[in-house]
Order: sequence, then structure tokens, then C-alpha cells
Amino acid sequence: MDRRRPRSFYPLAAFFALFLLFLYGPTLTIAILSFQGPTGGLTFPMRGVSLHWFHDLFQQQAVGDIWGSFRRSFALGLMVMVTTVVVSVMGGLAFRKRFAGSGVLFYLVVTALVIPSILISLGVGLIFNQTGLDVHWSTSGFGAQLTWTLPFGLLIMFAVFNRFDKSYEEAARDLGASPWQTIAHVVLPIIAPSLIGVALFGFTLSYDEFARTLLTAGSRNTLPLEIYGMTTNVTTPVIFALGTLTTLFSFLVIGVFLTTVWALNRRRARAGSDAGKGMV
Amino acid sequence: MAALLKNRHLTGWLLASPLAAVLAFFLVLPILMIVVVSFWGATEFSIYPAFQFDNYHFLLTSPVTLQVFLNTFKYALVTWALTLGIGFTVAYFLAFHVRSQTWQIALFLLCTIPFWTSNIIRMISWIPFLGRNGLANSTLISWEVIDEPLEWLLFSDFSVILAFVHLYTLFMVVPIFNTMMRIDRSLIEAANDAGATGFQILTNVIIPLCKPGIMIGSIFVVTLVMGDFITVRFMSGSQSANVGRLISNDIALLQYPSAAATAVILLVTVLMVIGTLLRFVDIRKEL
Amino acid sequence: MTQATKTGLSRRTLLTGAAAGVAASAFPAPMIWAQNIKDITLRQFGTGVSNLNEVAQKVKEELGFTLEMTALDSDAVTQRAATQPKSFDIADIEYWICKKIWPTGNLQAMDTSKIANYDKIVGIFRSGKLTPESTIAQGTAPHSVGFTSGPGGKDFVAEESGWMTLIPTIYNADTLGIRPDLIGRPIESWTELLNPEFKGKASILDISSIGIMDAAMVCEAMGEIAYGDKGNMTREEIDKTMAIFTEAKKAGQFRAFWKTFDESVNLMASGEVVIQSMWSPAITAVKSRGIPCVYQPLKEGYRSWGGGIGLSANLSGLALDAAYEYINWYLSGWVGGFLMRQGYYSAVPETSKDFMSENEWGYWFEGKPATDTITNPQGQPMAQAGDVRDGGSFHDRMGAVACWNAVMDENQYMVRKWNEFIAA
Repeated sequence: MDRRRPRSFYPLAAFFALFLLFLYGPTLTIAILSFQGPTGGLTFPMRGVSLHWFHDLFQQQAVGDIWGSFRRSFALGLMVMVTTVVVSVMGGLAFRKRFAGSGVLFYLVVTALVIPSILISLGVGLIFNQTGLDVHWSTSGFGAQLTWTLPFGLLIMFAVFNRFDKSYEEAARDLGASPWQTIAHVVLPIIAPSLIGVALFGFTLSYDEFARTLLTAGSRNTLPLEIYGMTTNVTTPVIFALGTLTTLFSFLVIGVFLTTVWALNRRRARAGSDAGKGMV
Repeated sequence: MAALLKNRHLTGWLLASPLAAVLAFFLVLPILMIVVVSFWGATEFSIYPAFQFDNYHFLLTSPVTLQVFLNTFKYALVTWALTLGIGFTVAYFLAFHVRSQTWQIALFLLCTIPFWTSNIIRMISWIPFLGRNGLANSTLISWEVIDEPLEWLLFSDFSVILAFVHLYTLFMVVPIFNTMMRIDRSLIEAANDAGATGFQILTNVIIPLCKPGIMIGSIFVVTLVMGDFITVRFMSGSQSANVGRLISNDIALLQYPSAAATAVILLVTVLMVIGTLLRFVDIRKEL
Repeated sequence: MTQATKTGLSRRTLLTGAAAGVAASAFPAPMIWAQNIKDITLRQFGTGVSNLNEVAQKVKEELGFTLEMTALDSDAVTQRAATQPKSFDIADIEYWICKKIWPTGNLQAMDTSKIANYDKIVGIFRSGKLTPESTIAQGTAPHSVGFTSGPGGKDFVAEESGWMTLIPTIYNADTLGIRPDLIGRPIESWTELLNPEFKGKASILDISSIGIMDAAMVCEAMGEIAYGDKGNMTREEIDKTMAIFTEAKKAGQFRAFWKTFDESVNLMASGEVVIQSMWSPAITAVKSRGIPCVYQPLKEGYRSWGGGIGLSANLSGLALDAAYEYINWYLSGWVGGFLMRQGYYSAVPETSKDFMSENEWGYWFEGKPATDTITNPQGQPMAQAGDVRDGGSFHDRMGAVACWNAVMDENQYMVRKWNEFIAA
């Protein structure tokens, strides 16, 4: 296909460039504003240039506790990530064969994906309230977030198993491996890179989740709830500094995941197998 | 034991049990709870079990309800059309005009990166851009395109939809790109050889083959917009309402039963819309 | 629910150690108390107005125990106080919220004989009268929900019974905030909020129970509605008020609605809005950025509010003692001075005087021209020498209250109508 580029390439490329500008414009706006001087506000024009607000971010705020909420969000993200990976793999394996009720379960997964988040928040909150349990980010918040991350994890697993070459399993079975051995030594290693994708989704969806955690986090905020609180409570560019830092942190997380995938693929390439490649 | 393990129903349920348990407790039970509570009564600060239709009665007779539902559909429809147009074009460019796979992956990642940062921060970052004295207005004024700042840029339907498109276009790009990458290139070659123009290839080959991706993207965008309450609050300056805001207002005022009644109607509406969309696509096969 | 955060302070200070030592030599019993109280953690929640981390820090330094602060918006505060009594020890709430919460029994009555400065609390919170000649304004006046019949009481009594529902801490008189530089003419009446001159540049707050009062002040000033009691409207009065405001909204009068005072700061500072309902610290915040902003006194008078501290019914024993200790400390002046420097008033102004400079006291309380630069607690300049506080002295301002924030008998109806107005 090494022909001349069609004429439509150029307008489309321009469109794509505009799209990227649209995507990144606001992020850049707040990145710029976060470098305002000490008397700066939330809007243009800039009043001086300084690192004041990044410094301020590490000081005690008049109200709120940014770093506590960051630690909670990070812990919750890891909890959700591990659970999502384990439960999605098990679910993905289960759905490879039809079983009684699998259709119903599948529709429940779709419902979990499309139900407006605030309904989960409201419903879980109501259940905990009426049964006298305390809502807490690590119990009710954790469960509410799983209804959002599990469907994603499971859909990725569907995609993985749709492309999975069953002859590897058959070969293992022919060689006398038990079903458990087949899964542990053949299936899991092959799908491992995609599990990183599931983990990445699990972590970031949880880390950014807002609506489902709103009524289920209890008295201690997660980071998105804290940010939401700050939008109504904070009048200084410190919130933009926080936004810039969290964006950088997200980049860091993605970077770590991508490096892992890359390293895994290299090892795999050296080992001479290309099964499961390209599914992240 | 070995015989038991061979029973696919049993192994299926064993493997799916954690998933089923999570969904039962955090999806099915909450929905049931909402349905039950929607018939309850409320005082100013508490709710009490009852079986009454007051909440539905108030909801269905208030002139505002219809208006709010129409508003919700309006946002969903306009956002859907825009994200579809933009998302398809971007995916098309990536899949068919970028030739090296490395570039394809790099540009695709570039599109997805903003998705990993806080939605709320991405949303509020529009405010200094669109405000009366914001970047957009001051730039336009300095270029002498306009004399007076444009008021409708912020706290309007325009800004709400702009934020929606900004937040959710990616949900359209990814599934469409995914299906486009799976289109057998020889089909396009064949169409080309048969004398089809680029436009004919697009409408007769590519778009029909992309339908599943388009449907999956549409499901995401429509449900996200219909269930939203926070974007509308921020970007309209609290001045417009959609169903999600109706619910969150009621929650804030402790009127849980009336929030639950609105939630039930919203859920039914969303499921009906999604049910219709699902008739056109088998999600499991198309991934 | 929305903005919930905590500060835990674990710093042990010399001061408490020294205090414990002194106590040990003089009174053997309080020594145990002073030792144990350090392990006590009291969980306080309330609006961002007074739930400030600085206060928690000072408590740790001076009293030795830990105060965990959670800041929420008014709706969330009401919700938590009503539905999650186990989640707090101290509720920092407004009097109109108290009217809703008290009958639930989630708070306990406080013995005024244990309050050292009880006799110095201003009249507004006791008899309802600022001076013996004052008339009592409409709405939920603090004294009317400030007392209950005795320990365990769930009712309100009119006279000073010796058992308080809330210990008053903070209050103010609210009015409209304006940008004089963008308006360029005197503003004298509440009617200006709906003046078409400010089309697309006005705002009102979206907290139904307070917003409706501002709306009523406007409608009454316009001569459109004559209210029996703005603090307790009839259904027709609510309908008429909302009709006038819905019409204005549809005509594009409002730029946005705000829910927390910081949103109002952003609206005002960025020039999106030039006239709006506003709270005192918001004005202070706008001014500290060097942007002109006036808390405009209006001829119809102020809409006023008051807040206080309530104790959870679950508090007992040592924790209850610590809570009383905290209340007494709260009224002893430091917090009062801290709050008055932000433009609020303290319930016991005379104790706060010791914690303010003469210049600050003159400017904030007596309405005198500043003799030197006035700064906010963070040290940013608020006013220059010669400036006078908007509205004048404490007695000028609190003496011109037209209405208190209130909960009406028709509250649920009003809330639904308000929601319709927001959605319309």
C-alpha cells in the first residue's frame, strides 16, 4: 500500500490536529493558570508567574485534607484493581462456555455498565443507611466502584478469549495436564499482557470515579470527591495546581503500565511466542 | 470430583460466583431498594416505609418533569451526533490514513491520555477559557472579530454540550477504531478494483462494517450523558437541569423517596434506549 | 457527602504538659482528667464557614485534645445531623437547621450553668432583642429555637430555661454584594437584583431555604407581594415569589446560581456577575485580590443568620466534659477574634476584644474608620487607613435585620417549588 497519499489525507489530518488541540486545550489552560502569582485567581488575566500554588498545595489548607484523600484514592484504586483482575479473569473463563443463567448474568453486566452512576450511589447508600451499616470508602465505596470496573474488565476478557487460540489448551490437555494446570501454566501466561490492560482500567477508573462514590464514601473523601469539594470551596489556583499534578500522576501511572507491557513483550519475544500480542 | 468438574454449569457458576455476588449485592439489591423506596414517604429529615404513589404523582404532574426529560434527551441527542461525527472521522483517519503501525499506536495513545485524568478538572478547566473575560473572548476581541464578549460561551447549553463532547468523544473513537482495524483490507482493495470511488467505499463498505463499533460507542455516550448530573451543574452555572440533577437535588434535600421515583423512571428510560440499540449489535461477538 | 475532610492533629504541646503539671500539684483529681483528655478525639462537622483547620490546631495547643473537622455544604450538614448521629460529636450548625434537627433527638440539651460566659452572650440569642427597645425580626430568630425545657427535651421554649439547644458562636447580617466599578451608580434597594439593567449579570444562591428569603426581600421591596411573615410563607406567597423569579430567569436575568460562598467569589471576581446575594467572607475574599467589591447596605434591611455548636446525644463522660471545655474556650475570645477579622460577629463580643487590636475592633465592630491597614487572618490587606466597614457598626448592622434565615411550615412545598425554579 505504498501509493501516494489520497487528497482526503490533508483535511483529515488537519481535523485530527484540531481534535487534539480541543482535547488538550483545557488541560493546558489550567496548567498555565496554575503558575499564577500569589494574588492570582481562577481566571485570566494572569497575575504574575510563580510556583506559589504548587508550594501551597503542600501546606495545610483552610478546609480539607488533599493528601489524606490521595492516599485513600490510591489504596482504593489498588484494591479495585486487584479485585477487578481476579474477578474478570474468573468471569471471562466462566463465560467461555454457556452455563445455565449465563445469559441473565451477561445482561446484568450490561446493566451495570449502562446504569446511571448516581443510581448505584443512591441505592447502595440507601441499603447501608436502612440496615444501620456505616458507609465507608473501603466497603460501600469499594463495592459501588466494582460495578463500574468489572464490566470493563469482563468486556476486555471477552475480547481476549474471542481471539484466544484454543489449540494451546488442547495440546496441554493431550499432554495430560489437568484443567487447573492448563489454566495456570498455559492460559494465564498467554493472556498476561491483557491482564495489565484490565489492571490499568481497574485502577484508573477507580482513581477517577466520582458519581458512584459520592454517597458511598462516608465521612472521608476520595480524591475526586475532594476535588469536587474544592471546586466549591476553594477560590485560588491551588485547585489548578492540584489538577496539573494529578494529570502528571496519571501520566506516570500509564507510563509504568506501558513499560511493564513493553518489558513483558520483549521477554516474550525472546522466548519466541507471540500469542496474545497486541491486546492491551 | 473429576466428573463434577466436567459439569459446565457447575464450573461456570463456580468461576462466575464472585462476579455474580458483586452484581447481586451492589447492583440488583440497590435497584430493588430504589424501587421500594420510591413508594415510601419522607419528612424533612427522614424517610418512612409506606406504600403510596405521591412521589410518582408529583413527578408525573409537574410541568417541569417533562421539560427536564426533554432537556436530557436534547443533550443526549446533540452530544451523540457530535461525538459520532468527530469520533468516526478521527478513527477513520487513524485506521485508514496513518500507515505505519507505530504512528497509529502513538497517535491513538495521544487521544486516550486525557481520558485518564480527572473528569471534574477537565470540565472546570473550560470555565477560565470560556468566561466573559476568558481566553476565547479576549482573543476574539483582540482579533476584532467581535466587539462585545460573547455571553453564550459559558453557562449555557453550548458550554454544557461542549463539555460533554470533550469528555466523551473518546468513548466513540475507541470502539469504532477497534472495528475499523478488524476490517479486512482486501475488501477495500476489491471495492477499489471494482471502480468504487473513495466516498462509495466509505458508505458501502466501511460504514456498514463499522456498525457494531458505532453502536457500542453510542451506548456509552448516550448512557453517560443521560446519567450525568455534574457536568450540567458546572457548565450551566446551575441554570439548566437534566434528570440527573433532579435526582441529585432531591438527594441533597434528603427527599430520597422522590429521588428514587425519578431514578426509577430514568432507569426505565435508559434501559429502553439501550435495549433498542442492543438489537442492532451482539456486544459479545463484536469485541 | 460532598466536601468531607478531616484534620487530625497529633502534636503534643508543652502548654498542656505544663497545665497538667500545675493541676497535679493543686488538685489531684483534675490531673487524671488532664492526662486522659489528650486521648480524646471530638469529631466536629459543619459548613466551611467556621470549620477551619486553624481552630482545630489551636484546640490541640490550648486544650490538648484532638478536634477532627469535616466541612460540608448546608444541605449536607442538615442531612448528616439528621441521619448519621453516630458520625459526629459536635455539630456546628445554623439555627434554622437546628429547628429541623432538634426534634430528632440527635442533639442533647446544654446546661447553661456550665457555660462560663453565658451572661455575656448578646441579647439576640437570649431574649431575642439586641437592645431592650429592639423589635424581633421575622423568620426563625435564634432565641426562638435556642432553648428547650430541660435535659432530654425535644421541644423549644420561649424563655431562658437554662437548657440551650445550641451555644451561639457566629452570626452576621447578609445583604447583596456588588461590583461598584462595573455598576457605577449607587445601589439602595433589594429590587436592583431583578433590575433589567443587570440582565445576565445577576446571581442568587441555590440553597432553597436561604435563597427564598433573598427572593422574598426582593419581591417585597418591589411592592409585588406583601408577606404576612417572610420566614413562614403561605403556599400562595411561595407560588407568587417563585413565579416572579422564574419569569426573571427565563428572561435571562441570571448568569448562574451558586451553592457555596466560594463559587460566589469566583463569579464576582471574574466579572461574570456584578450584583448577587453574597456572604461576608466572600466579599472579603474578592477584596483581598484587589478587586473592588461592596457589601451594600440596603434600605429594606438585612437578612440575618446565626450559627452555634450542638452536642451529639451520644456524648457522655469525659468526652462530654471535653466538649464543655471546648465550648467555654470557644466563647473565651480567640475564635471570636479570628471570626470577627473575617467579617462575622462573635456571640460574646467583649471577650473577643482582647484578641483584636484597637484598630481591628474599631473597624470591624464599632464601624469606625480604620487607623491603619486592616488584614485578614492570613495577613492579606483588606482595607486601608480611613476605610469604613460597609454598613457601619455592629448595632447599625444587627439592628437593621429585616428577617432571619428560616424553616417554614410549608418547607417541603417550598423546596419542590424551588427545585422547579432551578429546573425551569
